[in-house]
Amino acid sequence: MSIEAAWWDYDVIVVGSGGAGSAAAQAASERGARVLVVSKDPIGCSDTKISEGKVTVRATGEDSDTEQALSDNLRMGGGSIPDKAITQVFARDNRAAYDWYRQRGARPKVDAKRGGPRPVSIAMGGHTKRRTIGHANSGVALSHATWTAVVQTPRVDYMEDAWFLDVVITEATDVGGQRVVGGIVYDASGGRLVVARAPAVVIAAGGLSTLFFPKTDTMRGNTGDAYAVMARAGADLIDMEQLQFLPFCLTSPPSYEGLLCGEPSVASFMGDLLDKNGKVILDCVMLRTRAECAAAIMLAVEDGRGTTNGGAYLDLTKNAQAPLSGDHFKRYLQQVMPSAYRNVRQAMSKAAGQLKEPWEVRPAAHYMMGGLRADPDGGAFAEESRDAIAGLYAAGQAMGGVFGANRLGSTALAECAIFGIRSGHSAAAHALAHNNKVADAAFQPALAAAAKLFGRDGNQSAAVLKVELQDAAWANIGPVRSVQRLDRFEAVCTRIEAALANVGIPAYSSWNQAFIEYIELANMLVCGRAIAAAARERDGSVGGHVRSDGPQISVFAKPYSTVIRRGEDGMFMARRIGREGLPFGRLGAYLVGDFWRKAKLRVLRRLPAPISDRRIRKHYEAVMNKTVGPLEIEPGSLAGAPAESVQG
Amino acid sequence: MKVEIVTNRDGKVAVVEYDYQSRSVDEKPMVLDVLLQAQLNGHADLAFRYGCRARNCGVCTVDINGRPRLACRARIRDGDRISAMATLPVLADLVVKRDGIARQMRGRMPVQAAGNDLNVEAPEDYHALTACVECYACLHNCPMHAKNLKFDEGGVTAAVAADEGYLWGNPFSLLKLQIVRLDPLSSQAEKDEAVTQARDLGLDVCTNCPGCKCGVGIDLKNKVVKELLDAAGLAAGG
Repeated sequence: MSIEAAWWDYDVIVVGSGGAGSAAAQAASERGARVLVVSKDPIGCSDTKISEGKVTVRATGEDSDTEQALSDNLRMGGGSIPDKAITQVFARDNRAAYDWYRQRGARPKVDAKRGGPRPVSIAMGGHTKRRTIGHANSGVALSHATWTAVVQTPRVDYMEDAWFLDVVITEATDVGGQRVVGGIVYDASGGRLVVARAPAVVIAAGGLSTLFFPKTDTMRGNTGDAYAVMARAGADLIDMEQLQFLPFCLTSPPSYEGLLCGEPSVASFMGDLLDKNGKVILDCVMLRTRAECAAAIMLAVEDGRGTTNGGAYLDLTKNAQAPLSGDHFKRYLQQVMPSAYRNVRQAMSKAAGQLKEPWEVRPAAHYMMGGLRADPDGGAFAEESRDAIAGLYAAGQAMGGVFGANRLGSTALAECAIFGIRSGHSAAAHALAHNNKVADAAFQPALAAAAKLFGRDGNQSAAVLKVELQDAAWANIGPVRSVQRLDRFEAVCTRIEAALANVGIPAYSSWNQAFIEYIELANMLVCGRAIAAAARERDGSVGGHVRSDGPQISVFAKPYSTVIRRGEDGMFMARRIGREGLPFGRLGAYLVGDFWRKAKLRVLRRLPAPISDRRIRKHYEAVMNKTVGPLEIEPGSLAGAPAESVQG
Repeated sequence: MKVEIVTNRDGKVAVVEYDYQSRSVDEKPMVLDVLLQAQLNGHADLAFRYGCRARNCGVCTVDINGRPRLACRARIRDGDRISAMATLPVLADLVVKRDGIARQMRGRMPVQAAGNDLNVEAPEDYHALTACVECYACLHNCPMHAKNLKFDEGGVTAAVAADEGYLWGNPFSLLKLQIVRLDPLSSQAEKDEAVTQARDLGLDVCTNCPGCKCGVGIDLKNKVVKELLDAAGLAAGG
């Protein structure tokens, strides 16, 4: 074997160092576990860091925001597919989990009267209540908190530039099923493989949007490693067809393609979504979920009504030009989506940046709602004990069952803390009760498989094959799907899988880019197969899954989740499990509430302009901080970046 | 458009000339666009970091003509030379080992806020500093950090320090300590300790330095270094 291997012992391995990973590591350490954090990107350089930094915190806007209100909102927004027990835990732990960020330095604006953080002015993407907290410097401010949790917490060791290749499991003869004994890591910086022995692994490295690059606004590292690792371990994955496409992302120029430019809520009261002929595609945009907006745009494109770059127009000009409320709107936009608005100003025309003309927008891959089929502690769930994988946990985006068919705006950062903490506690308890010594032989097959890739002959390059896969993914398993497209995509997968055998990898061990590309492409292929298998099983449209050859699934239909498991041959078997919909009374109340909110908005929009303008200003004045201090230095602001050469 | 890329693989340094093919007549590509295209055109194993493409993640810093830039938001011009950051050890091509910077801060900062009431707002300067995206552009020309790279004493070499955490600090590590001092939830003891840690990292070097430059525009000289020097009773010069 040309590459060396080191053998380490821990109680809990946490894969990923963003919001979920850092919370899991800190929580596991708090319960006495020795923790190893494995991160392929530098510590804390995650989707949490590059997010808009908005966090759902229940009951910050109004007292009527009960646990049930939030839990119901998650379930209805998610097409009744979320796991009821998981959404209840989300609603219950939400406020305390948010304070995890504050204990590590997140300092939001405070509403002195209500005695808590102050929410932004408008209920965000699909929320029925105003309950979203913003932070100066967006997610970058929260990344300082997650950094502190990893770097400063006692008993937490960490390695960056380290690819977690696979979890290692053995037969659990005592309880039946399998159990985790550790994992194999490629330490690119140390130029070696690491065998990390541990009875519990928390996978907190979710996200697979790079499968759709460049039509995505997330981190490059989102190559679906989490799902691939869990699938290869034999775990059940749930709702893998449910991928969230953010509706409003940039279409050009190429350097900016896919980056975020807005949320449904930025449409505010007067915003419109238009096709290339100026016809309204969807009304009441500010009250819609991300999934509804993305689906409306892509169906218009399918219908031949798309813009030059295959998108639609988001027209905010009426908001901005209103004489009384226009300035409030501009401040609101600045406050609620600073990074996104910055992208617009850099990438689009001056007039667009000044809100004098509509923005060309197109959906882009943002968030995988599917993931590990888990219990409310993030532990792998299996109906039969022979299928159990004891010691396998997921948190954050890697965990399924939380959001179902659509994730509401600002809920992901809350999810990271809530289920990061829960999985960390649970993994520590499991590990400390099962820390028996495991024979080295259990690790040899996985170790040998990784080692033999170094110094492999071949005339193909994974970096090039990856682009072929990405193009096929957007066209066929992206925001619009059909059986024909799924067939086409799987044929591409088969071709690339065959080519993978001929990928050459040099023998040197320190930061071997070809090895890294190979591993990530293999993982992306597993994810592509997973999405296709689940998308085939769900033969109608719901949430983030839009079928051009199937019906829209009704809110009154019996809800179900798709469950997939990977077989020995690498193919996924799909099935359905029933989900509990909301009781009829609460479903009805939710729908009436939704109807009422939209009716009120439609009336407001039809009022003579001077009257609606005055009403909208009143709304902003009631909820916005009157005095707006000087803007903080915003990462990316052109003014304050001497080390950059953006001009010219 | 012709540019040079300095590669470094398995210890072998080479300069590769790459001819960037514009995707439209008026395209003004970023450095990252060049790297992505080169990878697909004959340089498949080219190693470089990137993340968000929107200047928030801080991982894509490279040197352009010897000065650090974020590859995703730095325009490239004909004849530019792209190389790894000169201030950190190269792992491969444009990828440097960053770990020694964060690791030196282990145990130097509080684990969590001491205050019980979290409903306290932070001053404006606190938010000015949490804008740091950790791009490490500030290491450029930093005399404090430069001491790490020449260091070789008692078996501790620069390479060992990069593994175990550097001995001397840099503007980023000072910024982290100043954040502790500005946090209304830090105790007085923690604020004092932050100054002690800054001195331990070599703050006295800053007295003779004209000042550091931030990759995202934070006023490091006045909001970080000067504040710490004042608190430590050291006079700023330069």
